[in-house]
Amino acid sequence: MSAATEHDSGGNGNPATRPAGGVALAVTGLSVAYGNVVAVHDATFTVSEGDACAITGPNGNGKSSILMGVTGMVRRRGEVTIFGAPAKNGDVKWAARHGLTLVPERRQLYPDLTTADNIILGCYTWTRSIGKARRSDAYQRAVGLFPELKPHLKQAAGTLSGGQQQMVAIARGLAANPKILAVDEPCLGLAEAVAKRVYDVLAQIHAAGTTLIVVEEAPRRALTLCNRRVEVRNGIAGAA
Amino acid sequence: MKFGNLLIAGITTGSIYAMFAVCVSVWYRVSNILNLAVGDFAMVGALGVDNLYRVKGLPLPVAIITTLVVVAAFAYVYDQVVLRLAQDGRRPIEGIVVTFFFTFALSFFIDGVAKVLFGTDVHAAPTLWSGPALTLGSLNFERAGLLVLACAIIIGGAFWLYIRFTLGGKALEASGENSVGARIVGIDTRQYRRLIFIGTAVIAAVFGIVESPITGFTYLSGATISLTGFLAAAYGGFRKPGRALVAGLFIGVLEAMLGGYVSAQYGDTVLYAILAAAILAWPRALGFESAVSG
Repeated sequence: MSAATEHDSGGNGNPATRPAGGVALAVTGLSVAYGNVVAVHDATFTVSEGDACAITGPNGNGKSSILMGVTGMVRRRGEVTIFGAPAKNGDVKWAARHGLTLVPERRQLYPDLTTADNIILGCYTWTRSIGKARRSDAYQRAVGLFPELKPHLKQAAGTLSGGQQQMVAIARGLAANPKILAVDEPCLGLAEAVAKRVYDVLAQIHAAGTTLIVVEEAPRRALTLCNRRVEVRNGIAGAA
Repeated sequence: MKFGNLLIAGITTGSIYAMFAVCVSVWYRVSNILNLAVGDFAMVGALGVDNLYRVKGLPLPVAIITTLVVVAAFAYVYDQVVLRLAQDGRRPIEGIVVTFFFTFALSFFIDGVAKVLFGTDVHAAPTLWSGPALTLGSLNFERAGLLVLACAIIIGGAFWLYIRFTLGGKALEASGENSVGARIVGIDTRQYRRLIFIGTAVIAAVFGIVESPITGFTYLSGATISLTGFLAAAYGGFRKPGRALVAGLFIGVLEAMLGGYVSAQYGDTVLYAILAAAILAWPRALGFESAVSG
């Protein structure tokens, strides 16, 4: 069982991390259970437009389950609104169409498909036309943000290095044209230099106006980027 | 020209195996279930059209359309009732039970119903393109065989184009590769499972209709067809339709050559001995390791 507590980290001097407007994501009394095991209990927090919000806490405390519940990957109890609209329970497609896209833990790529196909499938949230998807700003931006992927666009994603696969997962998320990008453990298993590169890209995405939610076990790294923090711990429900 | 005629016969038979293998592997990619009933849908196609046309006296186009609609409707109901319960519930059933037995049971069920409806005699749908064999030099082309080849090329080509050049085709592949990853980008994996199950059932029925004038069908013919398709699909680890297609063609040609040059009586025995030896020699390269271990 876990609870969430919100903190304002003061922005850490990062000029790009200022909140810009209304509420992008509001979570009220969120609970997620897997059978009889309660992973998240009564989590309540909000993320404003333009925020970069870190969800931190030890492993196994329900950080990823919060994202899974919020995005609709698993069924939940409690209320979630995305830009004021109440999110449908268990409906990932709805969340993605309303601007919230998940970059999941362990990437969840399609290993036998090419890098380009992996990325372009992010566009499936808003189009069924492959031509429209290829010509879209969202796809071009996603590919352009990772010049290191260009030589590998026709290569099977499963043959890429861990860092490259993480970049593909983020690029796929961007191709969905999100207003809120929720990234789960983006540096899991990556070398420090690669992790830094991933964070640089996340900072660019945030600077371009996308609201960010980053799940991280290590708050120090997350707070180099984020101005807000939701701390997830076993125990009582947190407050704002 | 014995070789040429055997090659033509082998490619014709092989294209049938290839299409059933593709049906098996495509659906396995999406659902992780091996469709052991795919041959039974072919049998229903053949015997259903025969029954409606010859016994009930319906015009041939009506008999064909009615049979295909019934097959599609039955596949839809099966998906909605059985597969949905098995895979989409709060506690989805996993492992070998789902992999094999759901469609194994379906195969028995279809055979039983077919025995009651169509009897136990050999029947076939009427030939769609009747007339003597076409000749080119000393090569003979059976019209029914050419129809089978044409169907294989059209259906296989259309499917290849769909996978290669549409976002829907790539979404279908993604569903098979990683269902969690597919859901994240809003792909409805259940919808793809249903579409492919219905689609492959109808394709199998079409092949049953065009092929049955060559071989004739009984209510038990489905199992043999499923077995060969299953075997060819296994050469691609059940997950690679392209390899399944090549394997199906290869098995068909090898079968014809062995029947023509080695022994008409023991051709099949030698064929399965060669296939078994190949599996033992190169299990990984032929995809059998991944087929067994998943």
